[in-house]
Amino acid sequence: MTGRPPDTLFCLHFLGGSTRSWEALGRTLDGTARLVPIDLPGFGAASGQSGYGINAMADAVTEAIVAAAPGPFRIAGHSMGAKVALALARRAEDGDDRLEGLSGLVLISGSPPSPEPIPEDRRAKMLAWIDADDETRAKEARAFVHANVAAKLPAEAEDRAVEDVLRAAPDAWKAWLNSGSTEDHCRRVGTLRMPALVLAGSEDADLGADAQAALTMPHLPNGRLVTVEGVAHLLPLEKPEELARLLRDSMSGSVEPNTFPIPADYDALIATDRVNSRLRETLRQRAEPDDPAYAPKAVDAVEFAILRAVFARVLPVPGLDVAARLDARLASGGGDGWRFVALPPDAEAYRAALRTLDAAARAAHERPFVALDEAGQDALLTLAQKGKLSVPDSLGGRLNADRMRFWFEDVRADAVRLYLAHPAALASIGFSGIGAGGDSPEPLAAGLPGFHSTGLDSPESWEPRSSESAR
Amino acid sequence: MNLDSMRTYAEGDTVDVVVVGTGAGGAPVIAKLAASGLSVVALEAGPNFRPEKFAFDETLADEIYWTDERLSGGSTPEAFGANNSGTGVGGSTLHWGAFVPRADARDLRLFTESGEGVDWPLEHAELVPYYERVEAFLGVSGPPTYPWDAGRRYPLPPVQRNGPADIMAGACDSRGIRWADAPAALVSREFQSEDGPLRHGCINCGFCHQGCRNGAKASMDVTYLPLAVAHGAEIRPECFVTGFERGADGRISAVIYSHGGRETRQRCRAVFLCAGAVETPRLLLHNDIANGSGQVGRNYMGHVATQVWGTFDHEVRMNRGYPSALITEDFIRAEGADFAGGYLIQSLGVVPLTFGNAVARGRGLWGKALTDYLGRYNHLAGIGINGETLPCDANVLTLSDEVDARGMRKAQIDFGYSTNEERLNAHATKVMRDLWEAAGAKDIWVLERVAHTIGTCRMGHDGDTAVVDPFGRSFEIDNLWISDGSTFPSSLAANPALTIMALALRSADRFLASGR
Repeated sequence: MTGRPPDTLFCLHFLGGSTRSWEALGRTLDGTARLVPIDLPGFGAASGQSGYGINAMADAVTEAIVAAAPGPFRIAGHSMGAKVALALARRAEDGDDRLEGLSGLVLISGSPPSPEPIPEDRRAKMLAWIDADDETRAKEARAFVHANVAAKLPAEAEDRAVEDVLRAAPDAWKAWLNSGSTEDHCRRVGTLRMPALVLAGSEDADLGADAQAALTMPHLPNGRLVTVEGVAHLLPLEKPEELARLLRDSMSGSVEPNTFPIPADYDALIATDRVNSRLRETLRQRAEPDDPAYAPKAVDAVEFAILRAVFARVLPVPGLDVAARLDARLASGGGDGWRFVALPPDAEAYRAALRTLDAAARAAHERPFVALDEAGQDALLTLAQKGKLSVPDSLGGRLNADRMRFWFEDVRADAVRLYLAHPAALASIGFSGIGAGGDSPEPLAAGLPGFHSTGLDSPESWEPRSSESAR
Repeated sequence: MNLDSMRTYAEGDTVDVVVVGTGAGGAPVIAKLAASGLSVVALEAGPNFRPEKFAFDETLADEIYWTDERLSGGSTPEAFGANNSGTGVGGSTLHWGAFVPRADARDLRLFTESGEGVDWPLEHAELVPYYERVEAFLGVSGPPTYPWDAGRRYPLPPVQRNGPADIMAGACDSRGIRWADAPAALVSREFQSEDGPLRHGCINCGFCHQGCRNGAKASMDVTYLPLAVAHGAEIRPECFVTGFERGADGRISAVIYSHGGRETRQRCRAVFLCAGAVETPRLLLHNDIANGSGQVGRNYMGHVATQVWGTFDHEVRMNRGYPSALITEDFIRAEGADFAGGYLIQSLGVVPLTFGNAVARGRGLWGKALTDYLGRYNHLAGIGINGETLPCDANVLTLSDEVDARGMRKAQIDFGYSTNEERLNAHATKVMRDLWEAAGAKDIWVLERVAHTIGTCRMGHDGDTAVVDPFGRSFEIDNLWISDGSTFPSSLAANPALTIMALALRSADRFLASGR
């Protein structure tokens, strides 16, 4: 996206928030954007309204948007509100004309499309006090606000935040904790093309940058993840002026198209009549850039992000999206005629193995695989290769160490086969075979060039050289 | 191949023979029986390819491999698909490497010689005339004299030697090992197929395994199948056989197959099952027939096919030329061997995906180490063996509980080396490493690999211990014959296709002589 972002910003608050949660931001923006905060069902002025599921909340927001007749607009979703915003974005990209103007998202400490990782004890505690006596409620609501900020809020802001929590319908509060936050929208949300600004607080316990990278960014190929320092979970209350600054910046996170260019001399060889037409056309197709916003079909968006991270280590070739090519192959159902009996069918094996790898990263480092540095990722892949990557079921392990070893063998083979199918890869190894024969009208071709010279140290004049020997 | 003007039969016709499969086991049978005046319908699971489609590319060649999934288990799980299993009119010979050594006579008497393995229920001398007929018909290219068989002559001069062959020849010389240009079932010069097309001489393109574009390679679609069609056989592509109809006497009266989603049957007087060592037993097990011996699926064998690779200062460009242009049979019986049987060694040039797949799986490289190594492609060369595998109880093909798209249970193949294979492998690896060191290779590494599909319907003298008799006829259903690698009682050191074809002609002769 280029130029100024559109002016209207619909704002969806966090659990226990309301339209008032955006007042400080509105003051800071000072009319440079039109903020339209919305109370989600069960919260703020809508505390009497029911319909607490993600889709029901999205329906309610859609009505509010239609009523505002906004023209082009963005949606800002904070925590719980972010999950609703992502559902709306999916609807918009699926062609819901009531959301036609939606052109971008701002997700603040967002709850991801996948079930949110809330520790069970905290969930239980929050469910307990919301129905307690007034005194307990008041005490716990304040503790809740405290727990979600990095530094104490100004007294007035804190009081209003506590008031909002207490205004919320307890049923809405419980519905989020019991079901809304655990609804799995990963497949449904899929891959969104619209630009998105994804904000994470450096002090956020559960939904910080790692969680955003692992669970939200995979849905947003045109997303940009920014960590806001010194902030926990309530950025609009904690640092509204910082949020305003980020909103004024360009939201563009669009990725450059992938390119794995064919060197000019190899490209020229492909154009000659030494290369047959079917192969020439195929090589050109394989050289088409991969779509940075490729929507995975065989694995889900979160798994796809792990897959991309794995291939970035297994086959570090910038500009070639091996993961996208593999996913397309898996989805087509085309196999290679066999598989290790120890593994489930290919797509299922990939999904289980990627989840296992992620679980291994969390078990060892308390971070998702995609957030590990290269050395950390390599170490886990090396364990898989050696048959030593073992994660208990209880921690999310789905394949045992032996199976992970078989799977990682398949990964390497899949990667290298997709790589060497690409003409730029063939160029880099100096492969001359594509030029052994061109077209012939005869069923059994006569007069194809082939190779006259086949012995050592006797390249024919037209044969390409590898990028290594060319250096 | 061109099937436009072939004779066709109606579903209601009762033909003399239905042949299931058109590869090395089926095609010679189809041709021989048709040429003898029998009515023959061949059912081929795969499509009928035109050589115009063969495009000098490994991924595009996926269509000539059998990609219905098989499950590989055991201690050395074998790869299928591109490794050894083809589809289409011509079967696996479309992607076959066309490396055609004859079986060594000693390999057919292995038990007598060593107390290990089994003896074949036939004499090597019975095979020799069939070998000669096949070699003459296919147009095998080979050396003027064969160091390990003084009387042998090949119909055509050898194909051009390539880089890996030159390196191996030099290394063998330095170690006092005899070598020869490989016997290869491709024509080194223009060759007129009998009742078939004019085949052009090999152009050294290096894509034997991806389908031969000019007919140089003796795949069945340019050799036995045109001959068969010229004599009135009908070849039906895209016909996947699922079962049989049998009469009250137990004999097969029709073959049931699916074509275009429709179940069809062809009435017949006899059946030749030639679907290879995986699909043949799978079909028998699926229908629960011809298995009174309990031997169907048993004694599955893949060859020990270990390779040794190295990097050379030379610009090798191993993709050029016939991939396996040099052979030594000096180790068919190795001096001081602590194992039964032996192995042959061949030089190896391999195209990139196949090689990269081996590096990624077998050498375990990934990351920059992988791309850097692949970058040396033009300086790499290999040698590899084809070594005896003994029949073994643990190596077995069974039907999995998992089913394919047709609802047929998938084949599960459990395969692993026993002591004999491990000892043979260790010996061969040492020899090959030494050769590559002698040749000046750097960065030498060993690729453990299993090749070919053999066994599962062994032939023998006795219906209690074998599925078919020494001519391929079922002991239980007397109008059912099997002609493919499944009938081999042991693997032999030689690559199987030439022996499969020789046995196929022998079976056909027997069938004709038996009055059916």
